[in-house]
Amino acid sequence: MREQFNKELADLHAEVVDIVAAVGTATRKSVTSLINGDVDLASEVIVGDDEIDARCVGVEERVLETIATQFPVARDLRLLQSLTFIAMHLERMADLAVNIAKATKRTAGRRGPQTLYDLIQAQGNLVYRVLDATGAALAERDLELACKLPELDEPIDHLYKQFFRELARLQEEEDIEWASSMVLASRYLERIADNAVDIGERIAYLITGERDWSAEAVKAE
Amino acid sequence: MTDAAGATPPVATEAGAAAPAAERGPGEAHRHHVHAAVGETKVHVQGLNFWYGDFNALTDITVDIKSRAVTAFIGPSGCGKSTFLRCMNRMNDLIPGTRVEGTMLLDGADIYGPGVDPVDLRRRVGMIFQQPNPFPQSIYDNVAYGPRLQGLKRKADLDAIVEESLRRANLWKEVKDILGRGGLTLSGGQQQRLCIARVLAVQPEVLLMDEPCSAIDPTSVQKIEDLMAEIKDEVTIVIVTHNMQQAARVSDFTAFFLQEVAGEPAVLVEYGRTSEIFTSPSDKRTEDYITGRFG
Repeated sequence: MREQFNKELADLHAEVVDIVAAVGTATRKSVTSLINGDVDLASEVIVGDDEIDARCVGVEERVLETIATQFPVARDLRLLQSLTFIAMHLERMADLAVNIAKATKRTAGRRGPQTLYDLIQAQGNLVYRVLDATGAALAERDLELACKLPELDEPIDHLYKQFFRELARLQEEEDIEWASSMVLASRYLERIADNAVDIGERIAYLITGERDWSAEAVKAE
Repeated sequence: MTDAAGATPPVATEAGAAAPAAERGPGEAHRHHVHAAVGETKVHVQGLNFWYGDFNALTDITVDIKSRAVTAFIGPSGCGKSTFLRCMNRMNDLIPGTRVEGTMLLDGADIYGPGVDPVDLRRRVGMIFQQPNPFPQSIYDNVAYGPRLQGLKRKADLDAIVEESLRRANLWKEVKDILGRGGLTLSGGQQQRLCIARVLAVQPEVLLMDEPCSAIDPTSVQKIEDLMAEIKDEVTIVIVTHNMQQAARVSDFTAFFLQEVAGEPAVLVEYGRTSEIFTSPSDKRTEDYITGRFG
């Protein structure tokens, strides 16, 4: 029943899962560009953002059209509402990746202490893990995985704080503009993961229809 | 109203009684009963079973219909929702071989108790059908019919009741200059609103609506949905509808009935706030039905 409607829901769902992957790729490229001082790779991220923006707007438009013509209720309504919410977050996350890419351009040709590069790389690796889990949780409607996202996010916050401590040890002769760009990059990574945690909460609502679903609830089951 | 005199003890309550017409001043011609507060139970149903002969149509229905709210009954054809609706004013009594078991209380008094006068019950629990059924009389006389039957004679009182009832039924503006014209000359949608005015004229506490909008034009549907929202502060409304968008639009509570296997009795699958049923139903059968993946 409702074959066209079902197909549109499945298509929209797949599209948003795919945008999560695109945001993951943009984040990886931006972090790599920063660490390697690769300006070309940074430009790729900045240019590619227009496509992600357009896809997110496309999702919103298709959701509106589906609501207007199909009168979705219950899980269908929750799916459509959640996809709009998630697309909005993805658009912001891609913008944060762009900000990291811009930091690459600002710091081009300058190098700072390796410790800070290592920290950014470590933080980046943890963020990729969060993004991959977000995509898998949405694709498979995996409640347990969605509820695990805050746990995966936690070490990212720790690294962000550690980044500040390392920065405080910098000598006066260190390049301040370089250092502040790196701090901002660390902050952007932390924000990307935080948005992913919000998406995880929405995935849990999508699956359960309940708002206060938490990791505790999963453990209790 | 004079109904207090005719009411039989088990159903009559303080809430159901009002001053006889003779004791009212001209300005008090049409006062509504003081009903139970919002959210309180108007009709309490516990373990209700219904039979058409040997066929157990409804089984173990337990639900509290809330006062001063609109409750929608939804479900596929043959799921017993209309049967259940008709239990509430004993319309099924008119069908030979039917039988009811279990508890059904109106304001705490047994609807099927000994000594209950079904005619008086139906005054308190009015009904609107799918097909409008005005009397072959003038618009005015259609609305004045019930109050006259209850002994109201003064023209000023009747005029006031007719006007207020037609206003509440969202029909007054269209018919105020043609009150002497036959009710059957109106359009289908107007006839349905005339029937609603006729029911409202006897100040029912509960209004049962059995697919009231499935045979009428969209403008009248809108007017009926509007009037439901306007009168629900005074009248408890229960509506059976096949239109799920309508159920979602007009009701505060929704009950989903389902007969899972042909020949087996229907059950009440889920009952709750409409906003919850249409966003996060708790039963998969409800979800499948309202999302159109069933039946």
